[in-house]
Amino acid sequence: MAALAEKSTKERLLSVLDDLEVLSRELIEMLALSRSQKLPQPGEDTQILELLVQRDKEFQELMAVAQQQGKVHQEMQLLEKEVEKRDRDIQQLQKQLKEAEHILATAVYQAKEKLKSIDKARKGSISSEEIIKYAHRISASNAVCAPLNWVPGDPRRPYPTDLEMRSGLLGHMANLPTNGVNGHLPGDALAAGRLPDVLTPHYPWQSSDVSVGMLPPHHSNDFSLEPPGHNKENEDDVEAMSTDSSSSSSDSD
Amino acid sequence: MAVAQAKLGKESDDCSLLPLVHDIIKCMDKDSPDVHQELAKLKTKIQEAREQISNMPGIESSPPEQQQQLATLREQVRTKNQLLQKYKSLCMFDAPKAS
Repeated sequence: MAALAEKSTKERLLSVLDDLEVLSRELIEMLALSRSQKLPQPGEDTQILELLVQRDKEFQELMAVAQQQGKVHQEMQLLEKEVEKRDRDIQQLQKQLKEAEHILATAVYQAKEKLKSIDKARKGSISSEEIIKYAHRISASNAVCAPLNWVPGDPRRPYPTDLEMRSGLLGHMANLPTNGVNGHLPGDALAAGRLPDVLTPHYPWQSSDVSVGMLPPHHSNDFSLEPPGHNKENEDDVEAMSTDSSSSSSDSD
Repeated sequence: MAVAQAKLGKESDDCSLLPLVHDIIKCMDKDSPDVHQELAKLKTKIQEAREQISNMPGIESSPPEQQQQLATLREQVRTKNQLLQKYKSLCMFDAPKAS
């Protein structure tokens, strides 16, 4: 509290200067009065003179202190500039650390996502033999390329035909409730999923050794489709069948 | 150091008002017409001293307060230097040694 109540050097200097002014004026007035009235003063002027000397000495000491404070003030200004420079450096460093944190956070996040993907892949892993088996099965259905002995006119397609769909499970399931309603032999046969021998097409390329849909492709040829008497909707869908020598199906041999 | 102290002594004598008061009293004793001139000089000197005091830097606080402010600034500079040195020399990304 004493430190807070302590007057600044400026206030003290101005106060002492005011005292000096008042005392010097009083002394001069007193001397002028005593000379004009020719009355000796009972030592009052001596007291004022002593006070004046004392105040003058105090004033000089305070001026010396003020000059010292001025030098300290210069040093403080230099230190303030140092502090400002350090603050700028710290802010720059803070900015760089923020950027680094952001980059690292992004990298860590991406790494975690990749680890999750790896973990997920490991959990759902499939043996390579099974994948090759499925690939072989897909290739064997002639969906990848045409069979070796395919010629224009062959009703075989890279997709299930109408007859093949009806002879499958879905065809059986769809036709079960209507069994006996339709008395046509071909319809029953179709519903049962069996083709009668009369309706089975016979072509020169067919041999007893060849099972439909099990031949792996070996050649790369382009075929144009114009099968005689074949289903017209299949004709519209397929205009050409190509074989690819770079097919992904494996060699069954 | 001696030169600085001599300069300081001269400056202190320059701001003393006693020589002017003495000149005024001497003029009054001699009944000299210069007494008014001397009075004007004293008045001018007092006014100049007031202006000089107003313009002097660093005297808005007392000497102990100023010393405290100086110590605080020095501490700030020291702390910030330390902080900067710490973070510049800190290596956060030590590469793990291959085992």
